[in-house]
Amino acid sequence: MLRLFRRDMLGCTVSRRLSTACSPLPPTPLPHHREVHLWYIKPEEINDSSSQLKHYMDLLSPSEKRDVSSLSGQRLQKNAILARALTRTTLSRYCDGRVDPGSIRFRKGLYGKPEIMWQDGDNIIKPPLQFNLSHTSSLIACAVALETSIGIDVEENKRQTVKSVLAVARRYFTVSEVEYLAAIPYPDIQQKEFIQLWTLKEAYVKAIGRGFSGAPFKNFTIEMGSDKRAPKMHIEADSDCEGLADNCQFALLELNSSHVVAVCMERDQEISGDENNLLRLKVWRTIPLIEDELVSGTETVNYICGLC
Amino acid sequence: MASVSATFVSFGCSFNQTKCITAGKNCTISLGMRNRTLTAVRFPRLRVSCSAKPETVTKVMEIVKKQLALNDDVPLKPESKFSELGADSLDTVEIVMIMEEEFGITVEEDNSQSITTVQEAAELIDKLVAAKPDQPASESEQKSEAIS
Repeated sequence: MLRLFRRDMLGCTVSRRLSTACSPLPPTPLPHHREVHLWYIKPEEINDSSSQLKHYMDLLSPSEKRDVSSLSGQRLQKNAILARALTRTTLSRYCDGRVDPGSIRFRKGLYGKPEIMWQDGDNIIKPPLQFNLSHTSSLIACAVALETSIGIDVEENKRQTVKSVLAVARRYFTVSEVEYLAAIPYPDIQQKEFIQLWTLKEAYVKAIGRGFSGAPFKNFTIEMGSDKRAPKMHIEADSDCEGLADNCQFALLELNSSHVVAVCMERDQEISGDENNLLRLKVWRTIPLIEDELVSGTETVNYICGLC
Repeated sequence: MASVSATFVSFGCSFNQTKCITAGKNCTISLGMRNRTLTAVRFPRLRVSCSAKPETVTKVMEIVKKQLALNDDVPLKPESKFSELGADSLDTVEIVMIMEEEFGITVEEDNSQSITTVQEAAELIDKLVAAKPDQPASESEQKSEAIS
């Protein structure tokens, strides 16, 4: 089902925001248990020098603005602004219209993962939201879940590597992952599977809050799923397994036939069996403060594995 | 996938203090938190402020510029962070692999985790090239110059 929200002219929306100090975004119900909400922007849909981009910049904190300015080049700066604006507007949607996107504060986890820092004394609800951000030059995505830690990674599905995928895999993946890729006879499918495996591993290290440098890829294996069977992971026997969680579940999807998205979420310990095996998903394409389009259930979103 | 505010991955972790202190008597050592940016945030780490060979820095810049397809107008400096140039973790691993091939070295995981800038990459390369067992210092310097 497609829902289209058309916002007012951005100028009117912003002035209303300034006068009432509340979120102009339509409130969105919190994700259900085992449900992931994914919001994405395509940077090409926002003009480089538009007033929209300036308004998004206004949402950023002073330190975020400084960080944007330190980036090299207009494209990187634009995407950084969009990424921060997407995060702030997405999170404010779940606060019943009572939180201004520009007012949300963040902190960094031990390895640098951004987290929401709700302020004490605010007369607002403080939903236990977990979120994670990922972007390519052509798509920026923010995933939201309730309570359980989440990681996502986005790649252009046709991304080419300078080195052969097997060379990169031998250098950074586990033996069984290399064997899996090496057994694929067709180079284009091998390249696609490599990218999918890379994004799954990235999503995992982001979900556990460690990032690539904190959780080397050689320390854990991900076994690709198929159809409705979710990918599985296990920690390598000879690895330094400090900080590696083995209670995560995975999902893989394709967006617009152009991007692959991997999602990793901590598994609920109290529930066993198949009902805990597949994730539910809702996906929106958005131009924050302008337009939202629910695209899950349409051709835009293609489930690969791990989703129901 | 760019990594500015998206992932916090790239190479960078707590630095091996022993290696840092013995890196060279002429190097200054400073202790403090790295700037908190939208990209990688690390533990407090010792940073060795010694300079790599200019030709190594130049070569690393060439590798980075090619890998990230940077235009000539993008400012590229020794202190440029890979993440601020738009490198994601896959770009960074490819940069490390290209450096290994170009300089004939092997970057171990714990070393690769300390590379976040062009300067750091060049310093590590110089260190690994000099430490190669069949390469006396003078020969390794000549080889570095030949490559650049």
